[in-house]
Amino acid sequence: MQWWCSAQSGYWSWAWQPYVGVWLLVGGLALAYWLLWRGSEPGERDGGEPGSFALGLLLLWAALDWPLAALGATYLATAHMVQYTLISMAAAPLMLRGLPDGTLRRALDAGTAGRILEAATRPMVAFVLFNVVLVGTHWPVVLDTLMATQVGSFALDALSLVAGALFWWPIVSPVPERPGFREVWKLAYLFLNTIPGTIVGLMLVYAEYPAYATYELAPPVFGVSALADQQVAGLVMKFGGGLVLWSVMGVIFFRWYLRESEEAGPAVPADAGAGS
Amino acid sequence: MRASDESPIAIRRGAGVRSVLPLLAAALLASGVAACGDDGGRGRPSASLDSGLHGAVLPEARLKGDFTLTATDGEPYDFRRETEGEVALLFFGYTHCPNACPVQMATLGAAYEKLPMELQQRVEVVFVSTDPARDTLPRLRSWLDNFSESFVGLRGSRDQVNRIMQGYGLPPAQIDTTASGPGEPGDGYTVGHAAHVLVFTPDGRLRLMYPTGTRQRAWVEDLRALAREGTAAVTGAANAPSGSAPGGG
Repeated sequence: MQWWCSAQSGYWSWAWQPYVGVWLLVGGLALAYWLLWRGSEPGERDGGEPGSFALGLLLLWAALDWPLAALGATYLATAHMVQYTLISMAAAPLMLRGLPDGTLRRALDAGTAGRILEAATRPMVAFVLFNVVLVGTHWPVVLDTLMATQVGSFALDALSLVAGALFWWPIVSPVPERPGFREVWKLAYLFLNTIPGTIVGLMLVYAEYPAYATYELAPPVFGVSALADQQVAGLVMKFGGGLVLWSVMGVIFFRWYLRESEEAGPAVPADAGAGS
Repeated sequence: MRASDESPIAIRRGAGVRSVLPLLAAALLASGVAACGDDGGRGRPSASLDSGLHGAVLPEARLKGDFTLTATDGEPYDFRRETEGEVALLFFGYTHCPNACPVQMATLGAAYEKLPMELQQRVEVVFVSTDPARDTLPRLRSWLDNFSESFVGLRGSRDQVNRIMQGYGLPPAQIDTTASGPGEPGDGYTVGHAAHVLVFTPDGRLRLMYPTGTRQRAWVEDLRALAREGTAAVTGAANAPSGSAPGGG
């Protein structure tokens, strides 16, 4: 039995596999949130959205547990890419959005760790960290090496989650005054981030040979060749991540527009007040 | 290289240690290639005895030998005659195999499709079943078609196939009824067998072995070289043939 899902040998089977480490992580995060929420004063709970945290946790669980994790660790690069997108582009921002402001403020004020967190969530730093993790963990040698062991596979998933949380911090802005990111910069930040994912995705799509030994040397599943699987994985990275980024950009732009419209007040007809 | 229930070139029951030693040496070299070969096709492994190829060059080339088994169309297939003047790739495996066989065949199939048509015509991939009880000819054909419709599937009795394998210095296939667990679609047993692809050059000699874990890029590069240059592609270790030719059927 594996505590965390890593590469296996043998044919793909729909036989269920337990991953105890995943349950402990998801259960631990749920328990921590509940304790945090229960221990907070009503004023400290502002900004916290338990529903958002629960949905994020659910998506994290779906990404890390059987069957997606088993397919992604051994058989299909596409499944891995769906996992990565779920973890870094959906679970991370949703869970972050669910945390109460008071908790995050306390974290930011917590001495050295708080200073590191404050530095890591600055937009430029978060952008660089996120994309270093994106490119680094999808570098063939790195992915093949890490995916081969449970510890390595856990590290891959943990890096994706942490990098995702740092990246989304300036957008989700759980603590509104830090970093105080205006809409136009949020849009630019998100737009810039569509580029690295697109480059990596297109490299996978247009590669002549399978990039990852993990998936190339696994018994084929669902009649999909290793190269076709990699091409779909590249498309998932480009369009899956892109869909999230562009959707959020749309929401930000729409809210910005609405806010400015409200601030400008009701439109006055050009001939209003003109006498006859 | 993945863990496998089918130890490549495992010396088990009475395979004739002396006859196996040269192949064992080559297999060890080849395993080294796989172990450090995450970049498979991207880097040149050092284990190829300066041949420039990715497979392990056998210290002593062996004759192709004569054997005739039944092809998936029901006709007899004389391996030596049918592959004369071609690069012949021979693999022993079975269709219920959980790992090495589908991986080798899928990788070979993808590499084969990347070769230009004129080179494809100079390469013959032959799969010999080590599990004739379950591998009926239609099943064998259907399974191979997942990888390439050009691949040849052969079936003979277990004794015939084992004699052929031993003729090439490989240990005979062994049924293992203890193997079980998720991901193994067998009907109660697996078959232990050598998991290497044996490569015969157009001069009719076995000169190279490729382990499970050889990647598409490596296959494409090597098959191109072998199909274009023939025996000359295997430089530095193309010794005179030795050993007895197998005759299993």
